[in-house]
Amino acid sequence: MASVIYHPAYQNYSFGEDHPFSPLRIEMTLDLLDALGHSVRAAEPEPATRADILGVHEENYVNCVEALSAGRVVADCEDFGLGTPDNPAFQGMDEAARWHVGGTLHGARLICDQGERVVLQLGGGLHHARRNCASGFCIYNDPAIAINYLTRQGLWVAYLDIDVHHCDGVQQILYEDMRVMTISLHESGRYLFPGAGDIHELGAGTGRGLKLNVPLEPFTEGESYLEAFEAVVPAALSQFRPGVLVIQAGADAHYDDPLADLMLTTRDYEKIFRRILELAETFTSGRVLFTLGGGYSLRAVPRVWALLYLIIHNLPVPRDLPPAWRDKWNRVVGSQLPRTFHDPNPGYPSISNRAEIVHRNREVTRRLLDAASHYWP
Amino acid sequence: MLVRDIMTSPVVVISPDITLQDAYQTMQEKGIRHLPVVDGKTLVGVVTDRDLRLATSALAPAPFPPGGKVSAVMCKTPYTADPADPVEDAARTMREKKIGCLPVVDAGLLAGIITGLDLLDALVRMTGADKPSGRLEVRLQDRPGEMARLTSFMSLRNLNIHSILTYPESAEAIRTVLRIGSIEVRPLAQDLRHAGFDVLWPPEKPWLP
Repeated sequence: MASVIYHPAYQNYSFGEDHPFSPLRIEMTLDLLDALGHSVRAAEPEPATRADILGVHEENYVNCVEALSAGRVVADCEDFGLGTPDNPAFQGMDEAARWHVGGTLHGARLICDQGERVVLQLGGGLHHARRNCASGFCIYNDPAIAINYLTRQGLWVAYLDIDVHHCDGVQQILYEDMRVMTISLHESGRYLFPGAGDIHELGAGTGRGLKLNVPLEPFTEGESYLEAFEAVVPAALSQFRPGVLVIQAGADAHYDDPLADLMLTTRDYEKIFRRILELAETFTSGRVLFTLGGGYSLRAVPRVWALLYLIIHNLPVPRDLPPAWRDKWNRVVGSQLPRTFHDPNPGYPSISNRAEIVHRNREVTRRLLDAASHYWP
Repeated sequence: MLVRDIMTSPVVVISPDITLQDAYQTMQEKGIRHLPVVDGKTLVGVVTDRDLRLATSALAPAPFPPGGKVSAVMCKTPYTADPADPVEDAARTMREKKIGCLPVVDAGLLAGIITGLDLLDALVRMTGADKPSGRLEVRLQDRPGEMARLTSFMSLRNLNIHSILTYPESAEAIRTVLRIGSIEVRPLAQDLRHAGFDVLWPPEKPWLP
């Protein structure tokens, strides 16, 4: 049985009305599940403490967040990645970010201390936050903070990030940690933010060979994505033998995403989520903590995350979206939500250079495995 | 970017009267391929690993012994660079003369060295994604004011440009590749298109409403 974590205070993590990282994304997901007859019963976490945050972030950065959060002016806030178009300052931002970290930490505790197996944190996944600055809508790095908790309890962690953007913050913070494997599948940094996530970023020191990056070509479709996933993830997990999986389940690799260029459909996400649960059964006695993350298409994201909820609860995936839910949110979203739960098939025109994309993804995957396996026993 | 920004300094040097064996050993120990030869601080030549290998090769008509002097095999009239030369001038010289390094000479004295690897580092930095950023590629008309129009567009949105690389694409157009310090390059590209710019990356996704 799966546990869910959520707190209404997550909704305060909001950079403003027209900002892509909208709290509507979670609200619509919860409302969709409700309309489907699955009202979410979530454990409510506590916000993370300042000490939790300082486990990963530098104090002068945290001071800056707190000052902006209290409505004070900080002259050099852009040096900390704040007050920028991506990460505008807002009142209460420190508390709002600590709520998301608290939720992910709570998930780690449920697994460590209470023997829970599948946990879904309906927030967090703020994987770009650096030790000393905000980046890409992320203020505090909840995955890194929760992973550090898990490793302190003696669990080795495999972090798998399926957000379309590379997990530069998580990777940098844990780059030399031999107790943590990170695996990121993302659109290549040659094109997409943040620019990192090359196959040669393999970790350092005793963590060498444990940081794996699969940079995929723009307009990669589900079949090629899943091929790369299958080539890398099971092999890496069987080498590393983690005690728990932490999954950043960003939904922005969907073809409808307005910020990126991968082409996953909801059917691809269904396959990925089911495969992750199988891998957890095989390698971690079923222990897996899911967080949310990016995902900016209000037409797609609620369906992807509701799908994740349905799958981990072993519930059937409905054919149609509830009409009342569609009517309510069509007005808010300002465009037509699809009639069916899954994407229409096909959802987009065929990709003209598909063969080249498939070929290049195979090549990059092979080169990654060649380079990484050099460090594996 | 100037030669002084990318050169290695201080530089490992040898004197003309040391043996080929010792020069070879210095290269091996330091992991380098090019040695400026100096008399005091004055550059008198350059010797490369290739010079040593050719001079001592069993295939050479009259191979030098390991105890031969560097002064006998070094290039006595090496091309040099000034610390204030633009990097692109140094690159052009190295390409035209097909050489792997340029000793950097300032007021007659050796000040540093640049090699092909330093130029590659410079290329990586100039095109660089060493800060969180996304790629934007725009075709501009080759006429005054176009680049200013593009960069003002960023400026008005308070967007930071981490790097700009431009090159001529045709007689009329230049290609401009920028790294923008934002996760929201795709919406930016849409705005640029609406303002009349020819945006090549990220491309449009016609299936989005």
